[in-house]
Amino acid sequence: MATIAIIDDDPDIIEASNLVLTSKGYEVIFASNPEDGYKLVKEKKPDLIILDVMMSEPDDGFFLAQKLRREKIEIPIIMYTSVSKALGLEFAAGEMIPVDEFVEKPISPNTLVEKVEKLLQLNYKE
Amino acid sequence: MMKLVPHWALEQQEFWNAIRKRNLWFIKLRYGVVILLLAFIILSISFLKIEFTSIQLTLILIITVSIFIYNLFFHYLRRFVKFDIESFNPMSVSLLQMILDLISLSLLVYYTGGIESPLYMLFVFHMIIGSLILPGAVVYTIASIFVLIFATMITLEHTGVLIHHHVNGLLDFHLYNNLYFVTAYLATFSLMIFVSVHLANGIARQLYNREKDLVDSIKKINMAEKEKQQYIMGIVHEIKTPIAAVTSYLDLILQKFLGPVDEKVEEKLLRAKTRSDEGIQMINDVLNVSKLKLYDQFNEEEIELEKLVCGVIRRRQPFADARLVTIKFIDERKNKDKLIGDRYLLDIAISNLVGNSVKYNSDGGKVEIRAKDINGTVSVEVCDDGIGIARDELPKIFSDFFRASNAKKASTEGSGLGLSVVKKIIERHNGSIIAKSPSRMAKKDQPGSCFTIELPLKREKLNK
Repeated sequence: MATIAIIDDDPDIIEASNLVLTSKGYEVIFASNPEDGYKLVKEKKPDLIILDVMMSEPDDGFFLAQKLRREKIEIPIIMYTSVSKALGLEFAAGEMIPVDEFVEKPISPNTLVEKVEKLLQLNYKE
Repeated sequence: MMKLVPHWALEQQEFWNAIRKRNLWFIKLRYGVVILLLAFIILSISFLKIEFTSIQLTLILIITVSIFIYNLFFHYLRRFVKFDIESFNPMSVSLLQMILDLISLSLLVYYTGGIESPLYMLFVFHMIIGSLILPGAVVYTIASIFVLIFATMITLEHTGVLIHHHVNGLLDFHLYNNLYFVTAYLATFSLMIFVSVHLANGIARQLYNREKDLVDSIKKINMAEKEKQQYIMGIVHEIKTPIAAVTSYLDLILQKFLGPVDEKVEEKLLRAKTRSDEGIQMINDVLNVSKLKLYDQFNEEEIELEKLVCGVIRRRQPFADARLVTIKFIDERKNKDKLIGDRYLLDIAISNLVGNSVKYNSDGGKVEIRAKDINGTVSVEVCDDGIGIARDELPKIFSDFFRASNAKKASTEGSGLGLSVVKKIIERHNGSIIAKSPSRMAKKDQPGSCFTIELPLKREKLNK
């Protein structure tokens, strides 16, 4: 079964997402800041990354997403955000920010599972 | 290029608009002067006892026609003058007009008697207008040059070098050859010109400075407002984070990711979910208003009204079902053209109205959304047979944080921000909103309320 890395500084969001994804049989690994997240991705090579925007970190989620893509790591990324609408950063996935999907907080488990399955399927087909 | 424009005015479109308007005003005034001059000539020849020599008459006519011609030129020219500080701008047009006017006036004064002409008084008028609009140095220079020209003219007439054009009938004796009179006259005239310039220029400078202070203050206020909005957005966002985590957990349980849930527990959790969803809705509203204020960010997209309303109803349906309230959408529009506006903001506005109609209603209540088109506008009416709004509170409902007294009794939650947000959004779309209570759906004990939004249908630029 696929391995999913969750990188978020909110432990409750990690736990909630972890519960949802493990219940669907995915293996979940996690990190609570972009730096650890980067190491995690490099070492464990997950099939999918769930990345929070983490605006409070000096190198935020956007930065990490760009860093990964620059290093030709093409693992699909879902970005958690609660600011997209508030800050007017209404972009479609792929534009400006090299991620594949956005999930707005609060996270609806069904939506999350749907998006995870869609992205993993797409990736296996390729 | 001489510096004619105060530096603070560079970015001020109003400043340039004022000058443009003033130039046009001068041009119109000058047409009046031409007519007055012609009337004066005709009157003095036919009815008054004033006798002009043929030379005087010809030259006055030539001057009048010249004024008319250069006025036509200015009238034509002003349309092509750009607001460019570095090159020929409306301020240069003002200066050029003034110089030409002063030359014409000097000639008129000379041919109507020089020192004996009553027209010299118009010099003061010119100098005051000039002082109000041109920088001090420029006006003082112009004033000095013209006082000098005038003095030279009178001196030359006095000494006989220049021919004196006497106007018979206006004055029966000569003044130009009286040394005392000429000296006293010149002294008073110069004094009057310079004092007028000094006073008018001082007042104008004070006004400019005050206007500059005002502009600076407005900038500061706008900056402070931006900082405030950023602060609010920061705080509200911080508040949203934990609520979002709570809601995520609730969803996790309610969507049965942790296994079956006891029915009683589920019911309470659903209630908790409803309340936290409301909290998030309010937070999003505040964030959206801040966003609107902070960035004045506003999309112009094509919106299909029926889709938007149906989306709102779909989202409000579970809440309405829980309260046994029915929501009906009646589309009476003939012209179903797309609206232009910000879909997200209009959605917030209509959703807020529908949400209120459901919330402040009783079991079995009705909500009707009716869309009509009247003379190029689309009206969306959200009516209910709910608790209504007291007459004396109707004018206040659109203010920030206001909640009607019966609304507070009916429901504990509510920030009192909803309707003020709705009004701001509708006004941003050049539309209007009015509230009525009782509504046309009033029942015996429930007056109900009715909100009507009118939005322009025409595709006009919504940018301010």
